Amino acid sequence: MAVTPNYYETLYVTRPDLSDEDLAKIQQKLLDSISSNQGEVIRDDKWAERDLAYEIQDHKRGIYYILVFHAMPEASKQVEKHLQFYNTDILRFMTLKITEEAANKNKATQEETTPKTEPAAAPPNPEPTPTVSATEPAAETAEEATGAPEEGGAQ
Amino acid sequence: MDSRRDRRYFSKKKVCRFCTEPIEMDYKNVDLLSRFITDRKKIVPRRNSGLCAYHQRQLATTIKRSRFMALLPYTVLH
Repeated sequence: MAVTPNYYETLYVTRPDLSDEDLAKIQQKLLDSISSNQGEVIRDDKWAERDLAYEIQDHKRGIYYILVFHAMPEASKQVEKHLQFYNTDILRFMTLKITEEAANKNKATQEETTPKTEPAAAPPNPEPTPTVSATEPAAETAEEATGAPEEGGAQ
Repeated sequence: MDSRRDRRYFSKKKVCRFCTEPIEMDYKNVDLLSRFITDRKKIVPRRNSGLCAYHQRQLATTIKRSRFMALLPYTVLH
């Protein structure tokens, strides 16, 4: 059976004090191993910086990066090998095979986020932007009140 | 006898949230998953979560992935 390309999602956590150069070096290796296997990178983003749920190598915080790509299985193996090699900088990593729809959703969200930065860069915008204050008070509080079970009827 | 017992333990029939609502199970969605763990960070059983068997299995896998990535704790003792 012929090997077909798959969609993969890799999430990896780096040390919070990792320098930009070292990070760039690691990320470049990941991208290289994808492109050398005729792969296509769909998303390469910083996902979040957050407190870890438990300490890993005495680190309490970590920076999460996400990498979504479409490539042959060999590429994902190489990506994992690189991440394993830098295991003092990369605290955790996990690669999952994902569906095409899930991968394309990533593409859509990235396209949504990129135009947001573009209007900020374009200075000529004399129109005052009307600030729509659509602050609706949360109407969810009523929902929680109806959960009390009735117990102990006749004792 | 039976009818009285039924009445005493009557509770509203739960419907699986993941079947009825258009929400996806994702190990990165910590806010959603944290609703399905107890105070002691254990996975909520099916009788309490109200999920169907399929989604409960998915939930367990997803929470375990999330734990591995240090998004959720394994215990309160960390």
